[in-house]
Amino acid sequence: MNQQGDNAPILDVKALHIRYGAFEAVKDVSFDVYGGEIFGLLGPNGAGKTSTLSAIEGLLKPVSGQITVAGFNTREKPLHARANMGVQLQATSFQPELTIGEIIRLFASIYGVELGEDTIREKLAAINLEDAAGKKIAQLSGGQQQRVSLLISTIHHPQLVLLDEPTTGLDPQSRRQLWERIEYFRNNGHAVLLTTHSMEEAEAVCDRIAIIDHGRIIAIDTPAALIEKHLHDPEVLKVVRKGKVTLEDVFIGLTGTAVRS
Amino acid sequence: MAALLRADFTTLWRNRRSFRLVLIVPLIILVSWKGLVDKLGGVFVLSSCITIGLTSIGLMGYSNAIARDRDRGVFQRLRVGPVSSWTIMISRLLVQIAMIMVMTLLVFIGGYYIDHIHVSPLGYIAGLLMSLLGGAVYLGLGQAIVGRFKNPETVNSITRLVYFIFIMIGMFGELGLLGKETQEIMSWSPYGVVREILAASLEPSAWTFKTTYALLAAVAYTIMFVVLGVKWFKWENK
Repeated sequence: MNQQGDNAPILDVKALHIRYGAFEAVKDVSFDVYGGEIFGLLGPNGAGKTSTLSAIEGLLKPVSGQITVAGFNTREKPLHARANMGVQLQATSFQPELTIGEIIRLFASIYGVELGEDTIREKLAAINLEDAAGKKIAQLSGGQQQRVSLLISTIHHPQLVLLDEPTTGLDPQSRRQLWERIEYFRNNGHAVLLTTHSMEEAEAVCDRIAIIDHGRIIAIDTPAALIEKHLHDPEVLKVVRKGKVTLEDVFIGLTGTAVRS
Repeated sequence: MAALLRADFTTLWRNRRSFRLVLIVPLIILVSWKGLVDKLGGVFVLSSCITIGLTSIGLMGYSNAIARDRDRGVFQRLRVGPVSSWTIMISRLLVQIAMIMVMTLLVFIGGYYIDHIHVSPLGYIAGLLMSLLGGAVYLGLGQAIVGRFKNPETVNSITRLVYFIFIMIGMFGELGLLGKETQEIMSWSPYGVVREILAASLEPSAWTFKTTYALLAAVAYTIMFVVLGVKWFKWENK
């Protein structure tokens, strides 16, 4: 389904503007994500991360700008674009009346993937949930739910994987397991875009990150290059806690110390 | 669409309590009104029971299910996939249409065997078709309510209130127990016009000009509720 060449980005966001009434939530945001790359979108609450992600997912209409997924413009060919992306929303949001097996079959069918009982069991076994096919989503722990959610999001092997704060509320073991899963997608050529509040996560898994604040991208680079670039920035040095500049120090130095609602 | 339909039917079946309630209310009325068949007429009893069933499906079943799933984020999860919003909604509506047909057939069967109400084959077919139009009035009203109000608790309260008003004022008003003016008003309310077209379709020879106007009013109510419901509806609660 990809309409582009090998070197083209899988996700291309150009001059994106999003408005809620008079409030401009996203202003002139541009970035791209390539296959085999994990790209992190970081920002304080209300900075415009979720709005940007929602526009890519097709859940809200931007005022202007262009989003292309695997060569398909999300406005002109929304269903083609969505067929090439796998989305994990912040909440798991599955029908609580259905079993995990039924939910997997539903979403697989939506993406045009036919799965038999054995294949579903195999896929669940791959995420250490062999016996979960007959269970309801509420019977699983938070970490298990996230694993199922990620499995469903990627059931059709999408070129682009969108993860909205995927590790929020998970214990360290579950978080590590999810990181390994995200890295697995990167290593298999998928483009991964994730939003996170965890600087540790961004440093650990992201190849490049963009820091967004007040609707604008204020920095974009690899985590190491961003730290290097701001090593002597007075605003960053002011907030250093342990003598060594971290990504979190750079983030707070660039976005300020005020708590956002 | 097939996958969505299967999931929506499974969800409906797993919510057996509300499923049974929606079907059982018209049947309870059918049984309890057995002694009134001679006084009110079999067609009046059948059309009243079906109207009450349609009100239950449109208001209690459909709108509450939509409000609940919207609140849970189920729609947003589906909408990020390659499926159009209309497909999601049509699947939901087809489930409700199936419910309407099941409820209507149960009332016909109950009416025949319990209340000994006999209707011509043409009457049954016309009644079934008219119950779909009556269902559209209440599904439209349910859509308007779930479009106007976002909180599932608010939707639940409003639909219960509207249901109660339709049943109590509609039923007693139509019987003339609340005075002539109320009787006239209720005969042109969504409750009254749906009951009127159902009654006339079950007994085609009794179709009058008033029934034709009631049919036009039902279509007008449907269009108005659907337009408002679609205009107001938001896929998420934020």
